[in-house]
Amino acid sequence: MTFRRTEHHRSRRVLATLLFLVAPAAAAEPDGFSASELERIASHGPWPTEWLRDAGNRVSANPAAIHLGQRLFFEPRLSANGRVACATCHDPARGFQDGRTTARGLVDGTRNTPGLLNVRHQRWFGWDGGHDNLWSASLRPILDRGEMSGSAARTATLLRGSATLACQYRKAFGKAPAATDPELLVNVAKAIAAWQETLVSPPTPFDRFRDALERKDLAAAALYPAAAQRGLKIFLGRGQCSTCHAGPLFTNGEFGDIGVPFFIKPTGVDPGRQGGVKRLLASPYNLLGTHNDDATRRNATGTQYLRPEHRNFGEFKVPTLRNLTLTAPYMHNGTLATLRDVVRHYSELDEDRLHADGERILKPLNLSEAESADLVAFLESLSPDAAPPAPAKPPAVAACR
Amino acid sequence: MNPGSQPIKSRRWRYGDFLRRALFLTALGAITGAANAACPPATTDGTTITRGEITLAWRPLQVDAFLKSGRIPMARHFALEVQLCDKNGVSTAQLVKADASMPAHKHGMNYRPTIKPLGNGRFRVDGMMFHMAGQWQLAFEVQAGKEITRLTHDVQAD
Repeated sequence: MTFRRTEHHRSRRVLATLLFLVAPAAAAEPDGFSASELERIASHGPWPTEWLRDAGNRVSANPAAIHLGQRLFFEPRLSANGRVACATCHDPARGFQDGRTTARGLVDGTRNTPGLLNVRHQRWFGWDGGHDNLWSASLRPILDRGEMSGSAARTATLLRGSATLACQYRKAFGKAPAATDPELLVNVAKAIAAWQETLVSPPTPFDRFRDALERKDLAAAALYPAAAQRGLKIFLGRGQCSTCHAGPLFTNGEFGDIGVPFFIKPTGVDPGRQGGVKRLLASPYNLLGTHNDDATRRNATGTQYLRPEHRNFGEFKVPTLRNLTLTAPYMHNGTLATLRDVVRHYSELDEDRLHADGERILKPLNLSEAESADLVAFLESLSPDAAPPAPAKPPAVAACR
Repeated sequence: MNPGSQPIKSRRWRYGDFLRRALFLTALGAITGAANAACPPATTDGTTITRGEITLAWRPLQVDAFLKSGRIPMARHFALEVQLCDKNGVSTAQLVKADASMPAHKHGMNYRPTIKPLGNGRFRVDGMMFHMAGQWQLAFEVQAGKEITRLTHDVQAD
């Protein structure tokens, strides 16, 4: 049984033919896309995509909380040594990443810092999905001894010592920040999450191409570089990349083993998703717990039905492919420096490194140099073609006195 | 009598009346829902699979604000409603397992669905997700007495 819409197929088949015939020579002869390919291209948009406020966070989209969250995101006094803020690793100029192989908070970490643009669309947070909501993912680094090593007492002192922060907290949560309040840290994390929800990247050259195809504007579609179009065909077809890198965010939000080593120098092992599931289910801050503001618990479906599997060992989250040019290096351990390295990884995939009970469709792509360059051109077209976007200004709120 | 108490009492009565009406309507809905169980399944019951004496109809249900049609969206949770029929009409057999896998990929879903009997041969399956694009195989196990019948159906998710 198929759920494809035949009417759309017909019109897109016509469009594919037209695109092939009409595209000017400057567009370097796009091969044309089949109706099926056009439908899949359409499925990667529109962008920005629809978003509903987080029902599990009562201050999601709350202007006062967004203001407070922005201040706290850049606040190093949340950390034990007063020098590490969320923004230390999540640099706005780098897509909220740090450009390092692995993160460095108070001490060196073992994983690459994930970017935060479009983080509001994620189902699982962190490379191992150890969190099922953005506020618990924001709370962990504050408390983690290797990252910020903060505490509720330190946070309360900070909030109460600043008239502005205390006022913003009061406006967001309707009460003063009290050190004795067990919800204080969770509230702080919810405010930081509310601000991160505003971090949305702008449309990209790919989005303009996709939208032009949708409105059948062939002249505009032909402006999309031919190399990126050829790379897109590999992405959708022979590469089977869109099997996992699906939808407007170019990820299915789940986990996979793609043969990236999970050993940590000198003798450790990163269990990936297997460890993440254990951490998630043991956490008092997961969506099955009391801190979830969604009384219906509809937002906890993923956690409720989670099925731990042996193959989860060594699986890591399928990352979004948006904004890649801002977030090098790549993979969970940051071992691939460039997009060309990433493409080479898939082109020369070592099947011996894959799970015996894991994904069977992963095969070396054996791409030529030209094909690799085309795929890189396509991946680059998923990033904004202008300077990194500045974070949106928080919505206006009445001044705090 | 406290003159101020009468309106409060009335409000309480009205609230109780509202609850009784709601319960009645819910019960009526459940009864008519069960009465609506169609055997053989109607087109609105979804896709039909037959094996031996068992006919199973399944259809996806909206559990997500983003699921706006009968189409199963990739990488989003969905639920199924299942209707079981046999030669006598509504089957007394039980749906004991519902799952899905990708045969070409040699793996299943990342989630373990649950089954809730709705009565009159109907069941609701929650916790489904096709997390990758491609060919999925839905698999149902239906138990009648000691006999278990396995029914499968291929679904393209994209």
